[in-house]
Amino acid sequence: MSEDVKKTDAAPLVELRGVSKTFFRGNEPIHVLEGLDLSIAEGSFEALMGPSGSGKSTLLNLIAGLDKATKGSVKVAGHELMSMSDAQLAKFRSENIGFIFQSYNLMPVLTAAENVELPLLLTKLGRAERRRRAETALRVVGLEDRVGHFPRQLSGGQEQRVAIARAIVSDPRILVADEPTGDLDRKSADDVLALLARLNTELHKTIVMVTHDPLAAERARVTHRLDKGALAA
Amino acid sequence: MNVVTIAVRNVTRNKFRTTLTVIGVAVAIVAFVMLRTVVAASSIAVDFAAKDRVASRHKVSFVMSLPRHYIDTLRNIRGVRAATWANWIGAKDPRDPDNFFATLAVDPESFLVVYDEVSVSAAEREAFIHDRQGALIGDVLARKLGVKVGDRITLQGTIYPGDFTYHVSGIYRATRKSFDRSTFLVHWDYMNESLPEARRDQIGWMVARIDDPRHAADITRLIDRTFENEDAQTLSMSERAMNLSFMAMFSAVLGALDVVSIILLGILLMILGNTVAMGVRERTNEYGVLRAMGFLPRHVVFFIVSESIVTGALAGVLGLGISYPFVQLGIGRWLEENMGGMFPYFRIDPVSAVAAFGFALVLGAIAAVLPAWRASRLTVTDALRRQD
Repeated sequence: MSEDVKKTDAAPLVELRGVSKTFFRGNEPIHVLEGLDLSIAEGSFEALMGPSGSGKSTLLNLIAGLDKATKGSVKVAGHELMSMSDAQLAKFRSENIGFIFQSYNLMPVLTAAENVELPLLLTKLGRAERRRRAETALRVVGLEDRVGHFPRQLSGGQEQRVAIARAIVSDPRILVADEPTGDLDRKSADDVLALLARLNTELHKTIVMVTHDPLAAERARVTHRLDKGALAA
Repeated sequence: MNVVTIAVRNVTRNKFRTTLTVIGVAVAIVAFVMLRTVVAASSIAVDFAAKDRVASRHKVSFVMSLPRHYIDTLRNIRGVRAATWANWIGAKDPRDPDNFFATLAVDPESFLVVYDEVSVSAAEREAFIHDRQGALIGDVLARKLGVKVGDRITLQGTIYPGDFTYHVSGIYRATRKSFDRSTFLVHWDYMNESLPEARRDQIGWMVARIDDPRHAADITRLIDRTFENEDAQTLSMSERAMNLSFMAMFSAVLGALDVVSIILLGILLMILGNTVAMGVRERTNEYGVLRAMGFLPRHVVFFIVSESIVTGALAGVLGLGISYPFVQLGIGRWLEENMGGMFPYFRIDPVSAVAAFGFALVLGAIAAVLPAWRASRLTVTDALRRQD
C-alpha cells in the first residue's frame, strides 16, 4: 500500500478483507472496488484520496454501513456489516458512526441546536438531556453563541461546524467525512480541518475522510490513495 | 424538539406553496361543507318530521282538492286525536312580487293544535283565531316583509283572485327545525268566501295528529279505506313519508350533489398529493441524511405523512373558519328568508363539519402514502445522491 503512515499502534477498528463492490448499469457490471484490503486503527485520522470514480465514496459508504459490499468482509467496531440487516445497519450507524457531508445537509427549518439534537431522537434520552448534549457539542465546535440560529443565518464554515457537532453528539467511535471542506473557502476549510484534528487528538475520534484536497489530506495521519477500485501500490 | 416538531416546521418550509395548497384545499372544504349542508338541509323536513302526524291528499295529485266535509269524517276515525286542513293560496306581496313565500289558508284553531311547533304568545294566538282577516307570519318572513304585530298588509291573490288585506295578528317562531319560518298563515274561511260558489268548500290537504305513532301505517290505510268509495279518494301517509315523496322530486339533484362531493374530495386529495410529492422530491437528499444517521424507513414515512396531515389540518381549520360565517351568517340566512319552503333551516350540520375536517386529515394521510412509500424504499446511498 502506498499509504503515508505517520504511525499508529492501536488495534484495527475498521477491517476490510477482499472487498469488492460491483454496480450494474442495465446489464453491464461496473466494478468499483476489487479485492480491497484495508485496516484502520482506532483513534486514527485517515484520508482517502484519488481521482473521481476511483471508489473513494463507495469505500466510505461501506465503512459507514450505508452500503454493502458485493464480496468480502467488512468489519467495523466489532460488527461484521455484511451479515447485518438494514435495520441492524441503521442501529449500527446511529451508535457508531457520525456523518459529515460536503454540503453540510442541515435541516433549514431547525435551529443549530435542533439540528445537532436530531440523532439523539433515536435514543431514549429525555428532552432536557438531549438539549444539554446538543449544546455541549456546539460548545466543542465553538458555536455556543449560535445555538438558536437557523442554518441560513450561519456562514458555510459555521454550518459545517454545526454538522460536525451533529456528527459527534451521540459520541460515535468513527466520524466519516465526505469532502468536508469541498464547499468551503480556504480559511473556513482550515478551521474545519483543525477542528477535525482536535476531535481526533483530544476526543480520540477515529476519522475517515474522503478528500480531493492535498492540504486537507495533510491533516490526516494516514493517506490512502485509490485508483480504479484498488488502493494504489 | 421531537419528530412532530420537525413535521410541523417542514410545513412552513415553502410558505408560498403551503399557503396556496392550504387555500386550495380550504376552498374544496368550503364547497364540500356547502354541498353537504344543502343535502342535510333538504332532508331536515324528513329528519324532523313529527312521528305522530299523518297527511292525506287527493289520490291523483297534490293539485287536486278534497271536499271540506272530509275533515269531519277524518276526525272521527279511530286513532285520530286532532285534524286540520290547509289550502295553498299562492298570494304575493304586490310590492315585491318576486319574493316567494308560502301562503296557506288554514283553520287557525285546529292548525295550531296539530302543528304545536308553531310557537306564538297566547295573546297573539287568540288575536289570530278571532280575527277573520288575521294573519300569523313566521318571524323570518315578518322581518323580510318589514311588518310587526298590528300592521296591515295586502297580498295579491293568484289562485284566489283579488287583493286581500290582512291584519298581522301574530308572529310565530318554530320549535321544530322542519317547520318553515317564512310561512304566511291566514283564515281558510276568509279565503273560501272570496271564491265563486262552484269553487268553495274545497281543501288542499288534511293533516291528522294520531294517538300512537306506532299505528301510523294502520291509520293511514284506514283513512284511505274510509274514502275509497268517494269521488275524491285520498292518499295518506306519515308526515315523514309525505316529506320524503316531496324530496324524491329532487332526488336526482341530491344524487348529483353526492357525486360532486366525492369529486371535491378527489380534488382535495390531488392538491395535497401534488404538494407532498413536490416536497418529497426536493427533500430526498435530506431523507438520505436522516437514514444515514440511523432513522428507519418508517421514520421517513412518519415525517412525510405527518407533514401532510398537518397541512390537511390547517386547510380544514381554514375551510371551516370560512364556511361557518359564510353559511351561518350569510347564505344560510338568505336561503331561510328567500327559500324557506325548501330550506327552513339551512345551517352547517355538525356531522358535515366534523366529516369535512376528518376528510382533510385522512386524505392528507392518504395523499402522502405513495410519495412516502417511494421515499422510504430508496437506499440510503441513492437518497444521498439526489440533489434537486
